[in-house]
Amino acid sequence: MLKLVDIFGYLSVLLRAGTLVGQSFLLGGVLFMYWIARPGKDVSADGLQRVRASTLRMFRIAAIGLVVVQLLYLYVNSAVLMATEEIGLRDVVGANFFLAGTVLLAAALLAALIAGSQGRYVPHCLSVLVVIVLAASVMTNHAAARIDGRAWLILLTSLHEASTGFWIGGLPFLLLGLYVAGDRPTQWYLTQRFSQLALVSVAVLVLSGFGMSLAYVGSWRSLIGTSYGVMLLAKIMMLAAMLALGGINFLMLRKYGPDDVVPRLRRLVEAEVGIGITIVLAAASLTSQPPAVDLVNDTVSTSHIWARFRPEWPRLSSPDATALSTRLPGQVVSPLDPTRQVITYTSEGSPLSVRLLNDRKWSEYNHHWMGLIVIAMGVLAVLARTGHAKWAENWPLLMIGIAIFIFLRGDPECWPLGPKSFWTTWADPEIFQHRAAALLCLAFAIFELRVRRNPSQGGVLPLIFPLLCAVGAALLLTHSHGNANLREEMLTELSHTPMAVLGVIAGWSRWLELRLPPEERTIPSWIWPMCFVVIGAGLLNYREI
Amino acid sequence: MAALSADDEESILRLPYKITYSSNLEVCTLRRSVPAPGIFLLTALLITGIAQPLWAHAILMESKPKANATVTGSELPIWLRFNVRVDGGRSRLQLIGPDGSAVSLEAAKQTAPNILESRATGLKSGAYKLHWQVLASDGHISRGEVDFTVN
Repeated sequence: MLKLVDIFGYLSVLLRAGTLVGQSFLLGGVLFMYWIARPGKDVSADGLQRVRASTLRMFRIAAIGLVVVQLLYLYVNSAVLMATEEIGLRDVVGANFFLAGTVLLAAALLAALIAGSQGRYVPHCLSVLVVIVLAASVMTNHAAARIDGRAWLILLTSLHEASTGFWIGGLPFLLLGLYVAGDRPTQWYLTQRFSQLALVSVAVLVLSGFGMSLAYVGSWRSLIGTSYGVMLLAKIMMLAAMLALGGINFLMLRKYGPDDVVPRLRRLVEAEVGIGITIVLAAASLTSQPPAVDLVNDTVSTSHIWARFRPEWPRLSSPDATALSTRLPGQVVSPLDPTRQVITYTSEGSPLSVRLLNDRKWSEYNHHWMGLIVIAMGVLAVLARTGHAKWAENWPLLMIGIAIFIFLRGDPECWPLGPKSFWTTWADPEIFQHRAAALLCLAFAIFELRVRRNPSQGGVLPLIFPLLCAVGAALLLTHSHGNANLREEMLTELSHTPMAVLGVIAGWSRWLELRLPPEERTIPSWIWPMCFVVIGAGLLNYREI
Repeated sequence: MAALSADDEESILRLPYKITYSSNLEVCTLRRSVPAPGIFLLTALLITGIAQPLWAHAILMESKPKANATVTGSELPIWLRFNVRVDGGRSRLQLIGPDGSAVSLEAAKQTAPNILESRATGLKSGAYKLHWQVLASDGHISRGEVDFTVN
């Protein structure tokens, strides 16, 4: 039963992310439909009508998506509660999360139904329903559960989520509008109006976010010394990347004419949508963690961070697979068993037996070799970018090395390093995950190599690699947080979260390199290989002892 | 350091993380035993969806008895203060005795939205473990335990 609660922990972050994305789309959609795309001078009525019709369709799809996600959330949360608390559905129904979730569900369902109908009051109804969705969502946020300053925090959270919805949730509708508008004046009209809205939304987003950070983080020490703080920093870094793209849009709009701007803008907005959704995923992750300000005893100090992350020579020799804890049932430190007696401690004071120490050495060795391979990939990609080393275009071959490495060292208890059979271990979820990762790397190697050999190849195939790279990194952000913010977990996260952010940036910069007009590709084509190098360097300095 | 039962150890061995020990408030430190080889392994997460336990929203800020305290007497008032509002009617307290037997404790009516209170009776000498599981008002379930000894 405890496992059910734990698994639901991860599932809930994804469902919460789905809810936040859905509500953002609804907020952005309704504002786009009735404010951005409202009739104006010198704009074709046909073009705007097409935009509004397609916006309504996408709004409806988003509302249906939100209904599904919310149903799942309510079902799973209620099932866990009923099972663990041994209470009936009648008792669950009275819980705050159930009431707020049901209101959200009903509002989203009504919005989906009304969006499909014609009528004078449809805009008013949809606007009211979207506000209800927002209010219900805020009532299942940190703010609703706080003891002090609850009303202010509810207000700040509402402003934060609303501005997120208007900006990030509105971007997909802008993208859709640019595609279906059909004529430059309409595209230009939509773009300029959205730019004004985005400016105001970003200001509200940043100010409300700052206020919430003061309440939930409270100090510099908590910002860099807790999982919540690190995730907030990741969110800020991605917001900075998005603002950089938004800034380029803003300047382009004021310097150049529609024919120069619109084709480039579409590509930049694609990347903005991707990074924006990743920020919402990170926000969902934040709502599932205790605020940093409450973690009085589990904050990691800068000296602890330095002790763990000061540059040291990589571990290039590994303990034998037979010396790991996986070869001996019971990994827990115990004074009764010689192989489990404490022989040393981590920098954070966690006790380590011989086998636990070997486990960590094994893991460090794996990370460090991976770091070397990823650095090599980045360096080769940079060399290839210079145009003076054609052979370096073969850098995806190194991913085959990664696949082999994962297969050999990911599961030391299995064949060929361990006694467990290759075929009988597929049912183990962990082993399955590692083998799937190895196969995926292998597939990517072949796939990306083909793209490299034939750079003029169009279509969606070249986009799959950057997309999966960005999405994979985004998912790492949602799952990368600890059970109770204990210091050891926090230190592990401190090394992984920046890599996830760099993965997101690498993916979207590669996307832009492929999507922008050839003369605009220079900057993104340098960014992603450099991200590879920095990710590799991070892996090379990863430590667990 | 609290010992883990054979069942706990068995379940730990099936997880993709090493669990180092259990403590009084929050249960486990989980560690990745597998490298994340840059963005390429990250992509695998998309396909495989590695599940990691993380459920810890309400935090026990203060308790009576305190963690690892030694108390006397056969009756003991229990008082838990959390960082957020908790739903007392949908939270659970369970006392594990020295012999491993579990007794559910009835929570008293809440005197404050972040406080849970109860009373343990019929205590004997030995090590006890108070399991708590609470539903925060934002819908998150959290759990933990408080170890104490009765003299």
